Amino acid sequence: MMLRAVVLLAASASLPASAEECYRVDGHNGSVSFEVKQAGAPFRGKFHRFGGEFCLSERRATRIDVWLDPATVEAGLPEIDAALKDRDFFAVDQYPRIVYTSHSVEARGSTLLAHGVLEIKGKRHDLDVPFSLQRERDNPIVSGTLTLNRLAYGIGIGEWSNTKWLSGEVNVEFRAVLSAK
Amino acid sequence: MAHLGSTNESYGIIAQAFHWLVAAFVLVQLALGLYAASLPVSLARLQWLSRHKSLGLAILALMILRLGWRSINRPPALPDSMPHWERRAAATTHWLLYVLLVLAPISGWLHASAAGLSVNWFGLVQVPDLLPKNPELSDLFKQTHRICVALLALLLVGHVGAALRHAVALRDGVLHRILPWEA
Repeated sequence: MMLRAVVLLAASASLPASAEECYRVDGHNGSVSFEVKQAGAPFRGKFHRFGGEFCLSERRATRIDVWLDPATVEAGLPEIDAALKDRDFFAVDQYPRIVYTSHSVEARGSTLLAHGVLEIKGKRHDLDVPFSLQRERDNPIVSGTLTLNRLAYGIGIGEWSNTKWLSGEVNVEFRAVLSAK
Repeated sequence: MAHLGSTNESYGIIAQAFHWLVAAFVLVQLALGLYAASLPVSLARLQWLSRHKSLGLAILALMILRLGWRSINRPPALPDSMPHWERRAAATTHWLLYVLLVLAPISGWLHASAAGLSVNWFGLVQVPDLLPKNPELSDLFKQTHRICVALLALLLVGHVGAALRHAVALRDGVLHRILPWEA
């Protein structure tokens, strides 16, 4: 790891534009959770499987390509999880992956802002994701929160599009450890 | 004449109001709960269960006030014509009803908390959870809630049956003690 960092630093000194190091999002070391309001009260859940690639250059993120498996959603009750995987919500049989791909990453003080595209249920929308990158130990840690409008992605269609009973806003919280590839 | 507190002859209007308000709420609550439980996961189930939870908390609050009032305001005496075992049965039934009218909403609240389906009281106030999300406890409290409600329903049949017996067969004025109008 140390040697690799030295090599990377040496490489970046000579080739600053292409000195990119890519990491794997460690799916066993992190969490992706969400919160929505049902009948005005907070309702929380999480996804167990996610992953992807995160590239850094000169300690700054340059490229983000992450996914999560909506079939691993867990919100508490089995019948609710089943409904979330079904057609009206994530339709996991037809759309087994949620994908976010950045096209640029901007530094804003101590936080970073990814500009990219989020695809859920075949619906693609531009999405800016603020996040922070900590490098306390060997492996960098990515974390952040964002708010999505579920209706833009067709999550909760038909009767579930009633935002008085199921809020349109969904807060998402993520944290993941990056490990060297 | 109407009186706030209970006398030796009849319940006061406060005790009567508690009794009939809780009675009406409990009947609506049983209907709401049974109907919601019969629905599959759907918006209608979410809506009816939310109302059921809000009404359940209203019943719990009423019961706490009612028990507080009862503790400082003794109910009227039963007629001397009633045999000893009937008095015992009446007292036991009334206390079990009180206990179940508190346990049913609390077990429902515990179930909702453990299921992660917190309550916002009639869309007005966020109600705290009694415990963190836990699927096993959620199941346990769901069963507890069902048992409480089943026992409550059984006791209510006995309670109403006994009241009607007093009114129709015995004509001893026991039912009239809780009625807001003169016999």
